[in-house]
Amino acid sequence: MIDFEEELKKFEPAIEVEQAEADIKARDLTDLTDLLVNMSAQQTNVPK
Amino acid sequence: MQCFMCGAEVGNDKVCYNCGADILLYKQIIYTSYVFYNQGLEKARVRDLSGAIEALKSSLQYYKYNTRARNLLGLCYYQVGDTVRAINEWVLSKNLQEEDNPNADRYLAEIENDPGLLSRLNSTIKKYNQAIEYCKAGSRDLAMIQLKKVISQNPNLVKAHQLLALLYIQDEKYADARKVLSAAAKIDSNNTTTIRYIHEVKELLKEQNTGKRKRKNDVFTFNDGNDTVIMNERALRSMLDTTRTSLVNIVLGLVGGLLICFFLIVPTVKDNMAEGNTDTILALNENLSQARNQNQELQDEIDNLKKSLSAYDETQDIPTSYENLLAAQNAHSAGDDAAASESIQLVSKDVLGEAGKAAYDSLYTQLAPTIIKGYYDDGNTFYSDENYESAIVNFQTVVDIDETYNNGAALFLLGDCYRLTGDSAKALECFNKVVELYPSNQWGRQAKVYIAADDTELSATEVGD
Repeated sequence: MIDFEEELKKFEPAIEVEQAEADIKARDLTDLTDLLVNMSAQQTNVPK
Repeated sequence: MQCFMCGAEVGNDKVCYNCGADILLYKQIIYTSYVFYNQGLEKARVRDLSGAIEALKSSLQYYKYNTRARNLLGLCYYQVGDTVRAINEWVLSKNLQEEDNPNADRYLAEIENDPGLLSRLNSTIKKYNQAIEYCKAGSRDLAMIQLKKVISQNPNLVKAHQLLALLYIQDEKYADARKVLSAAAKIDSNNTTTIRYIHEVKELLKEQNTGKRKRKNDVFTFNDGNDTVIMNERALRSMLDTTRTSLVNIVLGLVGGLLICFFLIVPTVKDNMAEGNTDTILALNENLSQARNQNQELQDEIDNLKKSLSAYDETQDIPTSYENLLAAQNAHSAGDDAAASESIQLVSKDVLGEAGKAAYDSLYTQLAPTIIKGYYDDGNTFYSDENYESAIVNFQTVVDIDETYNNGAALFLLGDCYRLTGDSAKALECFNKVVELYPSNQWGRQAKVYIAADDTELSATEVGD
């Protein structure tokens, strides 16, 4: 049985045009390759 | 291929011999990204846009420079009506790969070439957000109105369809909800929310239909002309309430109309009628006066005509009178005094000339005894027949010519006729004259008896002839 209030919570306001730039800036573009680079960099810097 | 750490050329090596970076792992990550991209592409082709979006997002989480995946993600967002997210993805795509990115260039160019597109999209988004606010505030009707506008402006916005369906479900309008969800499913066929709602609506519709079957006994059926109307109890009650309200309104309207009629129209009509009656009476009086005048004029005319007619008759009577006078003379010369008497009585003496009058007087004098005797005999005949009215006429003619005729017998019998017809005054007048003229003959004595007894009611037989 659908709980209206609970379902309603799942509907979030859509991004308006004015918020587009802020949304792009707030976007975390870190991907797995970035993590790999960081991890590799850390390994390289760790003194043997 | 270059090393992702030091930029040295690594070829197909698994490890960078310059810096020791794990090239194989890097390659596997990029490969996985493309695997997700392929999945996303496959799902997008079968309009499983939600699945495609998830796969493409995963692809970009592995490798953000997967421009194809990002452009396709933007296209999927655009297809489900989330245009701002689509634009964002294309902008990022262009920023991350400025060169050799024709798809992002094309998508952004199309948006830029339609100046009103962004404002329209923004308006639609604001309405959608407003609808969510209405829902949270409990104004579901307003939310529905807004969502219908949103869908009309942006038919691909799946979220708007879903929210509208949710509102329909809440209002138990399951058929409407199903319709909206079907439209949403056509845009995004494998959206989990849409599918869940559709299943829920199907179940609810089944329950509703079962309930309808159970409530069949509550259904009312009646004939409206040739149509058979079937209504459930609730609808019937609602209709009756509406009908009752309408009847009350009609009655109130009638009462209002009657009051207006009574206070405004009736007095005016009465005044008009009174004025009309007065005018009519005046007109009738005038007509009556005119009619009287005309009547008087006509009466005068009739009198004049009568006079003319009388003069004409007299004129006409002249030759007849002369003819009768001549006939009387001829009859008298032939010794037929009875015929002569009848002819001379038809003569109008007034129309005769002097010679005619002289001849008439002469002949009349000669025929007078015969004429009088005729009248006297006729009077007696009528008297015997108890026709006293006719007897009076004949006796009166005799008395007018000769009061002393037959020693007062005519005068006495005239009085007796008056007595027998109840005209005592004239009877006594006649009797007194008889007594005066012949006090001692039988008519005089008999007249005295009547006068003395003052008993004019006595019959002749009682007195004795």
